[in-house]
Amino acid sequence: MTTSAQVGNAGPAALSVVGLAKSFGAVKALRDVSLAFPAGQVTGLLGENGAGKSTLIRLCSGEMQPDSGRLRLDGEDVGFGSPLEAIAAGVVVVHQEPLLISELTVADNLFLYDLGERPGYAIARRKDNVQRARELLDRLQMTDYLPDPSTPCRELSAAARQMVDIVRALSRRPKVLFLDEPNSSLTHEESERLFAVVKRLRRDGVAVVLVSHRLAEVYSIVDHVIVLRDGTFVAAGPPDEIDEKRAVALMAGDRKRAVVAEVMADRRGTAEQAEVALDLNGLTGEGFTDIDFTVRRGEIVGMAGLVGAGRTEIAEAVIGVRPVARGSISVGGRRVRISGPGRAQKFGIAYVAEERRTEVFHSQSVGYNLTVRILSTLGRLGWVSPRRADAKARELTRRFGVKTASTGALITSLSGGNQQKVLLARALAAKPKVLILDEPTRGVDVGTKAEIYATLRELARTEGLAVWFISSELEEIVELADRVVVIRRGRIALDAPNNAGPQPIVAAAMGSTEG
Amino acid sequence: MSASTVSGRARKRSWMDVPLSVVKRQEAGLLGVIIVLGLLVSLANDSFLRKDNLYNVLQTVVVVGVIAVGQTFVLIAKEIDLSVGSVLALSAVTAGSVYGSGADPWVAMAVGVGVGAACGLAVGTVVVIGRVSSFIVTLGMLSIARGLTQLITGGLPQTMPPELSFIGQGRVLGGIPVSVIIFIALVIIGQLLLTRTIFGLRVTAIGDNDAAARTGGIPVARTRILTFVLIGTLAGLAGIIFSTQVGVAEAQAGTGYELDVIAAAVIGGASLSGGRGSIVGAFLGACLLGVLRNAFILLALSPFLQQLSIGLVIVLAALFDQARQGNLRHLSLSSLRRRLLARTRA
Repeated sequence: MTTSAQVGNAGPAALSVVGLAKSFGAVKALRDVSLAFPAGQVTGLLGENGAGKSTLIRLCSGEMQPDSGRLRLDGEDVGFGSPLEAIAAGVVVVHQEPLLISELTVADNLFLYDLGERPGYAIARRKDNVQRARELLDRLQMTDYLPDPSTPCRELSAAARQMVDIVRALSRRPKVLFLDEPNSSLTHEESERLFAVVKRLRRDGVAVVLVSHRLAEVYSIVDHVIVLRDGTFVAAGPPDEIDEKRAVALMAGDRKRAVVAEVMADRRGTAEQAEVALDLNGLTGEGFTDIDFTVRRGEIVGMAGLVGAGRTEIAEAVIGVRPVARGSISVGGRRVRISGPGRAQKFGIAYVAEERRTEVFHSQSVGYNLTVRILSTLGRLGWVSPRRADAKARELTRRFGVKTASTGALITSLSGGNQQKVLLARALAAKPKVLILDEPTRGVDVGTKAEIYATLRELARTEGLAVWFISSELEEIVELADRVVVIRRGRIALDAPNNAGPQPIVAAAMGSTEG
Repeated sequence: MSASTVSGRARKRSWMDVPLSVVKRQEAGLLGVIIVLGLLVSLANDSFLRKDNLYNVLQTVVVVGVIAVGQTFVLIAKEIDLSVGSVLALSAVTAGSVYGSGADPWVAMAVGVGVGAACGLAVGTVVVIGRVSSFIVTLGMLSIARGLTQLITGGLPQTMPPELSFIGQGRVLGGIPVSVIIFIALVIIGQLLLTRTIFGLRVTAIGDNDAAARTGGIPVARTRILTFVLIGTLAGLAGIIFSTQVGVAEAQAGTGYELDVIAAAVIGGASLSGGRGSIVGAFLGACLLGVLRNAFILLALSPFLQQLSIGLVIVLAALFDQARQGNLRHLSLSSLRRRLLARTRA
């Protein structure tokens, strides 16, 4: 295990950090980290949410200043007072959320730095920008990757927006390029294109640093792996030395391995005989047709399928935010009409939607976010008892293992995984009989994933909670579900016990069994 | 998702796209509304289309329109300025009292406009450094500037320099009011400033995506302050125009103008959520307000009805803008039919 700025046989380091440390209040986000990103190689920077990856990137790119420690670029000590200084020196970051101005064109966004570098009274050469953008794309051989540079960015797909951000980064001729979850919104094919670009950069001697939760994809391209945990450096080495399995173990540490094992061992047969909690009968609406399936008490049903197959639409129809044209919904054997999420909650159905960002009350506390849906039970006549609300919030944070300084802390101070736990706890606080989850662990680290799985398992077993989760991660379906329902083009393509591994699921989702 | 969604090149631009994109713009719709309204009014009263009347209509909207140019910049930067009516008055009475103390009329005017710019600078600085919402800061400035105006004048009207009366009252080239020429010149300069200069694109950038602007190295704070200086300067200039129209600067001048100014900018397509807006649109928005008022006078309709209809126009313009943005698809006929069917079947 190498801990010095020299990376053994990994070649000369383009960027290295020595003894880097950063604290936010009492939280030590990064402690005494020394590592190096070798030139001409792709480094996978691995770690759970909260391990310090983002902080490390921010310190390297001038977005934040370290409390102590040094940065060395090409062997010389450097300090970046702002992202612009870092970019000028050749350290460029592509953020998870593409930072684009929607109202301006692709070309204007590619040369956004001009707006900062040229004086305000200067004439903007917007027509020239389009021409320069074409030349740039030509030089980078990426003309096919983007729409015409004169297109306004508001018309672009998520993938194209991400590509604009990447091209902009490349236009600065980076020596060190950080890609922070660059492919989280890309399809497999688009990721391939991105990785082709990354390979070319590697040939050109750029130090590429890749942060991604999709480990399989990371491992398809990296030359060098660095693992962080709890703000400390854990290990670095070539991928054959630190393989995927070992990386997961290193990221999680010893404490969480036991939980993963327990979840795996806990897999039982389906609760065939239990009573039906939720029954969909011939449900048809925009984007889905003739959906027939049931979720029994104590059962965990995983719904797989390609993105856009209609899975989310079905869930939204059940909780009443989407119209149902035909078919019926029964809860606990009783046929019901659900006109909205409020009614759904009354019938004992809770729903956690796909987008964490839109589900969280951003400027409110953890406690508020936990109790907001059950406030009417925490007081009387429309008055809320703050004492009871806080007690409830504390109970929920304890029960679901939410890591927070206090229930009064802002929800945004929590890591993504912990925010997800808050959303889960909020849904479960109303004591539902049926829990519907859409992508319950997207962007959540391995350890938190295991904790969420364990919680769901336990609730299903001890309280008979019926769980229906939608997931695009095959591993998650195979690991968590008792039964699998696959949706293809709005119809059920498979409904079977989860005991045959991933192959039939993939086949049903892609339609290869039926042509 | 296929590769073509990334490249997006499949759709070639044809000549058909051009007229469509022009027609779909808020400006074109507005112009159409103004023309149709004008024709309707002229059917009922043929004096509407007379040259003098049209100049009059324009002259009545100059004060609101000039400030609306600045307000559009402020709205695009995702800010708002409620203080413009008071700043207008403060600039006017300052110019009047500086002149009254024996200064050169041009110096007096420069000081007046400068006071407007200073108000904008003050607002911008507090917004940026104190991180207070501009709604609050300019609400405060609305009161502060009005208070200062009362202090300076003691409630008495200030005489404006007669040398400057040509700004508000003069006519050139066969009867075109000077103030209208100033207004149109400012609209053209403003539109070019917004779409063709680095400053204009910076304003769009900070209003559209503050984080992207920041990491892109755009001087966010300076740009934001400058937009407030711009609207303050234009409010000051509007104060000079307003007071030279009547020859005196009154302490109560411009009361309530902020609402007309915001209305003109919003009718012209400016979005309160930042990033979007058009100076030409604001010009047409101001014109529409002027035509409406003029129509009610020519047709001898109740002034109460006038106020009501202006309110309706503001709301309709905002709805039209939403429809244009594609935010009203849930109201489309097919979507409504689907819902109705779903309800009857359930």
